[in-house]
Amino acid sequence: MNILFIRSIEGRILAGITMFVGMMILVGWVAINEEARMQAFVQQHTGRSIERGAELFASLCSECHGEEGYGAGDRAPGLNNPHLFGYDPVGIQTAAVTNANRALVRLNKDMASLLEEMTDTENPPSEERQNEIVAAIAAVEERIEEQNLAIDAAVAERISILETLNTAVENDLYPLWDTVVDIEQTGDNELEVFFNSNGTRLAQVGWGGDLHGYIVTTLIHGRPGSARVYPNGTGMAAWSQTAGGPLRQDQIEDLAAYILNWDKGEAWTMEDFIAVAQYGKPLADGSLPSEPPPPPAGDNVAGILLRWELEEIVGSAVSGELLYDQEFGCTDCHRDGASAPDTIGTATRIRNERLTLPQFSGYTIEQYIIESITRPGDYVVDGYSSGLMPVNFGARMTDQQLADIVAYLLTQ
Amino acid sequence: MTILPFPSFLDDVKEKGFKKAVFEGIDDSVERLTAGLNVQDLREAFRGEAASRRPNPRLTPHADGFWLHMRPSYFNRDVTGMYPTFRLGWLSSYFVFFETITGILLMLWYTPSPEIAYGDMLTILSNVPLGQLMRDMHRLGAEFMVAVVAMHMMRTWITGSYKKPRQFTWFTGLLLLVITGFLSFSGYLLPWDQLSLWAVTIGASMAEATPVVGEQVNLLLRGAPELGANGLLRFYLLHVLALPALLFVFFGVHYYKVVIHGHSLPPQKENIGEDTAKRVPLDKRVYFIPDMLTYEMMWLGATTFIITVLCIWFYHAPLENHADPQVTPLGTTAPWYFLWIQGALKLGDKFFWGVAFPTIALGGLALLPYLDVTPSRRYAHRRFMLTLACLLISVSTILSYMGLAKFAVQTSAETEIVHELTFEPAHSKVGIGRTIPFDQMIVGAYTTAQLHYPDEMSVSDAIAAINAEVAANGQYEQMITELKDQHVGANQLPLRFRAIPAAEAPTLMRVMEEFAHHLEAEPKELPNVWGALVITDNQAGLKRLDWVVSWDSVLIEAGHVQLDDNGDPILIYSDQVDAEGNPIPARRIYSDHLFIHEASAYFD
Repeated sequence: MNILFIRSIEGRILAGITMFVGMMILVGWVAINEEARMQAFVQQHTGRSIERGAELFASLCSECHGEEGYGAGDRAPGLNNPHLFGYDPVGIQTAAVTNANRALVRLNKDMASLLEEMTDTENPPSEERQNEIVAAIAAVEERIEEQNLAIDAAVAERISILETLNTAVENDLYPLWDTVVDIEQTGDNELEVFFNSNGTRLAQVGWGGDLHGYIVTTLIHGRPGSARVYPNGTGMAAWSQTAGGPLRQDQIEDLAAYILNWDKGEAWTMEDFIAVAQYGKPLADGSLPSEPPPPPAGDNVAGILLRWELEEIVGSAVSGELLYDQEFGCTDCHRDGASAPDTIGTATRIRNERLTLPQFSGYTIEQYIIESITRPGDYVVDGYSSGLMPVNFGARMTDQQLADIVAYLLTQ
Repeated sequence: MTILPFPSFLDDVKEKGFKKAVFEGIDDSVERLTAGLNVQDLREAFRGEAASRRPNPRLTPHADGFWLHMRPSYFNRDVTGMYPTFRLGWLSSYFVFFETITGILLMLWYTPSPEIAYGDMLTILSNVPLGQLMRDMHRLGAEFMVAVVAMHMMRTWITGSYKKPRQFTWFTGLLLLVITGFLSFSGYLLPWDQLSLWAVTIGASMAEATPVVGEQVNLLLRGAPELGANGLLRFYLLHVLALPALLFVFFGVHYYKVVIHGHSLPPQKENIGEDTAKRVPLDKRVYFIPDMLTYEMMWLGATTFIITVLCIWFYHAPLENHADPQVTPLGTTAPWYFLWIQGALKLGDKFFWGVAFPTIALGGLALLPYLDVTPSRRYAHRRFMLTLACLLISVSTILSYMGLAKFAVQTSAETEIVHELTFEPAHSKVGIGRTIPFDQMIVGAYTTAQLHYPDEMSVSDAIAAINAEVAANGQYEQMITELKDQHVGANQLPLRFRAIPAAEAPTLMRVMEEFAHHLEAEPKELPNVWGALVITDNQAGLKRLDWVVSWDSVLIEAGHVQLDDNGDPILIYSDQVDAEGNPIPARRIYSDHLFIHEASAYFD
């Protein structure tokens, strides 16, 4: 080892300088390649962000928006969706007609001026010029013919698209329209009127920003009123922690990256359009249902218990299980005890462990369950994080639904 | 003459001529900068010649200069070689400054907030030129520093250098070791990824066992019962402010003591009970200028060069996914230098092994110079202490091994196997399942059962037989139900197993072989097992890989498979019977999945 201790002073100076220069060369070499490395990292990170988004989507969103993003017509719209990404099949054909019409106007103008020059009696064109004008008129006529053909093709295409859409309406893929409409060549029908102002999702909702902003905002804050359009869905919840949901900002971004990865750009087709559940079912006249829905249970535990007694509400474990597993998706978290206590053994654990705690003296097991559902923040079991369970279940379920779930949990 | 109260350069030029005035001016400035050495002195020193003027100008910087007054003006030749110091003290100091410099550079890009910290890491990696190199260097330097400081302590123990008069030097050194450990530990949390959150959670929870104050200390440290915004801020302040301040104070004290007492000589070079470190005979003196100075500059270059090479080709600081308090990763451990405590904790009582034992160990170390008061530093006379040193090294190695996740932690075999195949990149390792090249992830369902069929049977016959079997006994149906539960799209569910396309996808084949190999290794816990890999399309450039394990369930109590008298596992039977009336074992199924994007490049 002592050979490392170079005994001659010039040897040490030389070795030291070599090392310093070597280090500078290495760092310089790294610096030259940094641009490429950083770009590669960004790409790789975007890929992994999409992977994490896919994971979140499968576990949290696929229930309503569909595993492959095609949506469930009565619960939530599809997101693997040309309409969302700005593909407007009717609009494309309408634009084609408009463009062709504009070209026609220009061509007609050209034609008029050519004819004017030809027929000018004061300054009659030379023979040479006359030949030129005749050739030009022939060319313009040819182009007018081309544009007319383009208009015919676009109109025909539009009709075929509208017919396809109509078939979809017939097959109840578009619950928005109850009846099949007549498609006329004038194009002035209900479907087309709709598409003229609702060609893309962003236009439909009047969104001022870009698609990424629209998706992120919807993920963060949820969508008030979606429960009205999707009577069988639970409404788009607020998913971000900033709005009371369970997800961090980086997870919201992951989800947005995943959803945006469905974009096919120019390659969207009518088949994609038809494959997706586009719209929910608005009520016939767009108003609230005549029969007001039963009021939500709320979070006043004593009040709930009292009402149950007065109204003789009895829970059913069978419908409770359905509500628990599907309607409210409780098992998404309460499944293996990793992020929330396991569903299995709920009643036993409450009886043997929780109710023995001093703060629950005098509680009945029902009371404990009701409180846990409607006011989840009041007590969090050791080992689990607070703030994870949504606080709005009390506002989302009726007394009867709550009673059913309690009955179900008592059997667990 | 001039109106200035001091002679101007112009006067000099007038008096001596331009050339002489310039040279003298430079000479003068150099002498001021070096606090005593002029150009000629430096020239002589770095040419290895003797100083030409008296008194020796090479001693003046030690007397008059700020920086060198802290360094001895000469060393004993016996301590300038590899033995006995192994340059560990010098290296420790080197890392203090190395970490400070790289740390300050990283601070420019870092905000200690859970919302931002991880994003800052990504920025450092994606948008800061040389950012990755700085981060790698800071991280690697931190790991080295802990190791070097610990080895420095063991060296001091082994050469008996803690003995009188250096007892207090040893004590301050021990404090520096503890501070170094905590510095490294507090820095662990800052990237706010899964690795840091859980390593620190485990480390910090050890303190919780302290009676009376444990909970309060933990609360003070974390700012809340869980690590969150407050905890991150506190760890950050500890890391960049409190602990470095303490470190520099005790570093000063420690080095001052080293200089005051001199570097202890190799034990055999002095008489027993004597300390002759400060009495260096003239012929043994190695002067700081120029010898030690050139040594140190050379080592500085060499060490930094080596670290640069390591960080370019051999080491990258790990960065896992964003910290998530809701998801505990499998196999979480404390940082390696705290593994010995984690290992000790597995021995029993949390308070005794987690708090009392480390305290006693450190307390014993602190008191070591006062307990071992024998005068001799010769190895032959210190057999007990040297044995104790070996014992300490062995015990901490064994305890650290016991601290590893694979030691005495019960995880079910199927979870362990799938995790082994799919874990996310950490410490330059990644689950082999993620390394399948994207174009080799051919959509379909593949099973390890295919690999157990005899070679003479054609692959398509084997697959047909397997498909017939799993369709008849309902195991395939069970898998499909499981996949549905895990949100595999209905259009994507495979209808039957396919042969593994070994020719087009050799890596896929290798992964399946690895999968089969792992499953075979657990015949007791996973009897009659088969594994499946179901690859489905998810999006453009995105595949989904579902890993399924299906086996006959066995009786497991307290993490151990229960065996019958023949040594076979006890099966759990379902309430169904087969055609001959024999009960059918209940079939269990486990699955986990991952998504792989084309650009993720796990396979590079």
